[in-house]
Amino acid sequence: MASPTSDGAPGWIGARLKRKEDERFLYAAGRYVADVRLPGLKDVAFVRSDVAHGRLLGVTKPEGADVFTLADLGPLNDLVAGPEIAEFRTSLYPPLAGDKVRFVGQPVAAVIAATRAEAEDIAAEVLVETEELGAVTDAVAALAPDAPRLHEAWADNAFIAAPVIAGDQDALAAAPVVVRRRLKMNRQATVSLEGRGVVAHYDRRYGELIVHLSTQGAHVMRRGLAEVLGLAENRIRVIAPDVGGGFGGKNRLTPEEIAVCAMALKTGQPLRWIEDRREHLIASLHAREHTYEIALHAEADGTIIGMSGDVYIDAGAYALWPTGAFMEASMAARNLTGPYKARALNLQTYTVATNKAPMGPYRGVARPGACFAIERMVDELAAELGMDPIEIRRRNLITEADLPMRTVGGLSLDTGHYPAALDMACEMIGVDKVRARQKAGEADGRVIGLGIAVYTEQSGHGTSEWMKRKARVVPGHESANVRMHPDGTVDIAVGIQNHGQGLETTLSQIAATELGLHPDAINVRYGDTATTPFGFGTFASRSIVFSGGAVAKGCREVAAKARRIGAALLQVSADDVRIEAGEIVGPAGSVSLAEVARAATLRPEFLPEGEDALLETTVSYEPADSAGVFSYGAHAVVVAVEPLTGAVDLLDYVVAEDCGTVINPLIVDGQIVGGVAQGIGTALYEEIPFDPELGQPLATTFGDYMVPCASEIPDIRIGHLVTPARVTEYGVKGMGEGGAIAPPAAVGNALADAFRQSRAQFLETPFTPRRVSDAVAAADGEGAR
Amino acid sequence: MIDLSFTLNGAPVSQRVEDRTSLADLVREGHGLTGTHVGCEHGACGACTVLVDGEPARSCIVLAAMCEGRAVTTAEGLVDDPVMAELRRQFHDKHALQCGFCTPAMMISARDIIARHGAAAPATIRKELAGQICRCTGYAPIVAAIAAAGAALNPSSDAAAAAPHVAATAAGASDAS
Repeated sequence: MASPTSDGAPGWIGARLKRKEDERFLYAAGRYVADVRLPGLKDVAFVRSDVAHGRLLGVTKPEGADVFTLADLGPLNDLVAGPEIAEFRTSLYPPLAGDKVRFVGQPVAAVIAATRAEAEDIAAEVLVETEELGAVTDAVAALAPDAPRLHEAWADNAFIAAPVIAGDQDALAAAPVVVRRRLKMNRQATVSLEGRGVVAHYDRRYGELIVHLSTQGAHVMRRGLAEVLGLAENRIRVIAPDVGGGFGGKNRLTPEEIAVCAMALKTGQPLRWIEDRREHLIASLHAREHTYEIALHAEADGTIIGMSGDVYIDAGAYALWPTGAFMEASMAARNLTGPYKARALNLQTYTVATNKAPMGPYRGVARPGACFAIERMVDELAAELGMDPIEIRRRNLITEADLPMRTVGGLSLDTGHYPAALDMACEMIGVDKVRARQKAGEADGRVIGLGIAVYTEQSGHGTSEWMKRKARVVPGHESANVRMHPDGTVDIAVGIQNHGQGLETTLSQIAATELGLHPDAINVRYGDTATTPFGFGTFASRSIVFSGGAVAKGCREVAAKARRIGAALLQVSADDVRIEAGEIVGPAGSVSLAEVARAATLRPEFLPEGEDALLETTVSYEPADSAGVFSYGAHAVVVAVEPLTGAVDLLDYVVAEDCGTVINPLIVDGQIVGGVAQGIGTALYEEIPFDPELGQPLATTFGDYMVPCASEIPDIRIGHLVTPARVTEYGVKGMGEGGAIAPPAAVGNALADAFRQSRAQFLETPFTPRRVSDAVAAADGEGAR
Repeated sequence: MIDLSFTLNGAPVSQRVEDRTSLADLVREGHGLTGTHVGCEHGACGACTVLVDGEPARSCIVLAAMCEGRAVTTAEGLVDDPVMAELRRQFHDKHALQCGFCTPAMMISARDIIARHGAAAPATIRKELAGQICRCTGYAPIVAAIAAAGAALNPSSDAAAAAPHVAATAAGASDAS
């Protein structure tokens, strides 16, 4: 359980410590943006476009009402978003609509009133005149020459089209077996239970705009606000209090947030906007919509050669700052060979503008789509060749002997035992038992299917990887300020954002390990640009690698100084002391860290000569290799399907995974189960369809946007492998996203397995009862209803 | 505007409210009781659950005006409740919360499930919990926490006889891993 610290003392790495952050939530005392109370606070409501695509002809404000349009916010600077690639076509996303509206829900005007209800009353009286233009709702059709053009200056509707061609193209062309399919993962929202929210006011004490923001990265959002508002960064303070879920959705700066800040500056009034659920579903960032028209190329014995074809990303109308959704296409393409020894890729990717809310990151980013594509294709290949899906995976999986290796997609896989994860998942799900049950048949007429999916999860990637993606902001480091107080307790300030991940606990465990203290003696602070060093925030499974590494590094510096001071107090050499259980321990005596800290702060006369006062440091950290460390795993699921209704029940779900060294198993398991639940949402329930002609979003409440509840999610059984990373502190790997990557693939494969006799096709998520029953009926030759 | 008299967390309240004011807005904006969270404003997610005369109610779709003469209890008013104390212990022990946004209302619903079913089986808990959305935990730890709390609070019931088993299975979701 406990592992040694840098100086050999037992530590807290691997301890199943209950979370330090729980108490405030359990006493209903969490404090979210909507809970911030300021004297004179007024509410904002937005007037939103009710047409998908149109020229904005005019906005008529009710007399005497406090209504803002774009012209009233300014002057604002252009906030250029998207990757720094010359071929990328920019599309400025104004905080309120300019000459055009490009999706239903786009903010057009903003109303200030004493309460939200009054602001909504006024908003309903604002007249928006538009000349409607044709709506673009399909990313493939959007590229037709005669498709209505979202951004007139562009030659077509693609933000960017880019090839991904690598490896042995001759082998690809000569492949004896080629399986072609069209797969689609549909559009969804991120659905944090707390929506977006902002409270902004101008504070005269320091002459600064104070912005309470529900965000995953306060420092980066401050940078964006400073750019667009034309303020110095030290004149903006962004505070992220408790954040009620993010999942990627709160890692972009959105127009409503900018507009509220601009209005607070204009009016001098404290203003608040709290997103409601309808706004979240139609106008918060969207995720996932990928279309794959691809072919899997293989040898006759099932050896995978590679993948070819087209990948379409429906990126919505605009690029969100900083980098939009523009890692989706390259990540999808580069991950399309999955965990397999493929030799070639020949893909064309299209990131396409449509009349929908802008796409952004959501847990797993691109990989749920890529995993769905490759893992469904592997099962289709197996079916084509009459092979067993497990066997064909064993034949193709990258093995321990192959690692480290650079994939044909350019990913640098580091450590792991991929086949062992597959074996563990098969063992846990009981493949033989499931097969026997299938053979026996079900008394209730349902059909049983077994699905398996293997995935990798790039995590903790830094400068080199984000430069490759031409990111506008390159999250290549994290920082920590470590401060020991005169009584020996410690405050650690970090630039990442804890919003459910348990980082107050895990970072305390790391600090406690390095400082020889109990985690209770450590405070972890975050979410305030005024009190924490610069950091990028929590996303991309990076926090434990980067912030954990920064905390370890900073604590080691403080510990080394404490040893020097302690040794001087003990009158021994610093080489002869160690730090343990709150003491500096020497050969013949010890001194408490509190006494050392007292000397370093209150009583400098006890400091050794030449030693500066204070036990405090600020450090930044990046792993030695910034290509990332790869967690991985295998999911297996058993489904029971009602063929006539298409109802799908999950009978069993197992995860075998490896995220390197585990800091806290309780929290790791929590991340896995929560991720799988979201992945099941993508697989079976969550979808925002659009009216194809009008571009109206058709899921605008929880009545028509299905979020899985307790009765839909089974108990998830988890097995762990532990292969430490080579380049990170303690050998950790990030793992926040992995749970969400594999479920659509695993569930899709289980459905295909259930109906393998008829070869019903399960190629589009979510697998709603309608899609499932249609697929079954089509394969049975009855035709789709 | 209407005149409204009710008790809020045990204290009598008389005030004028707009006809359309929801109970959620009244407790949050009018009384600063921000432990009641608003997650959907159409009665689907359960994050705003409070007790009205002891029964769970979605405060976003209850009008304040409907509470005339009633007793409204929010999560803040249940801090000293012994069932909530046990639920706090079990939610903490089973890692049944992550971002914390759904937690106060989840616990109010859990308290109601225990009141009606005692040491409830996980299948019962899942069914009863179907009106509460949690986006972080995947529910299993919440179900485990409610099962363990129900068993701990009902030591003599039949279901509680199986409680060690229930608790072990529930914890097994994470321990066996």
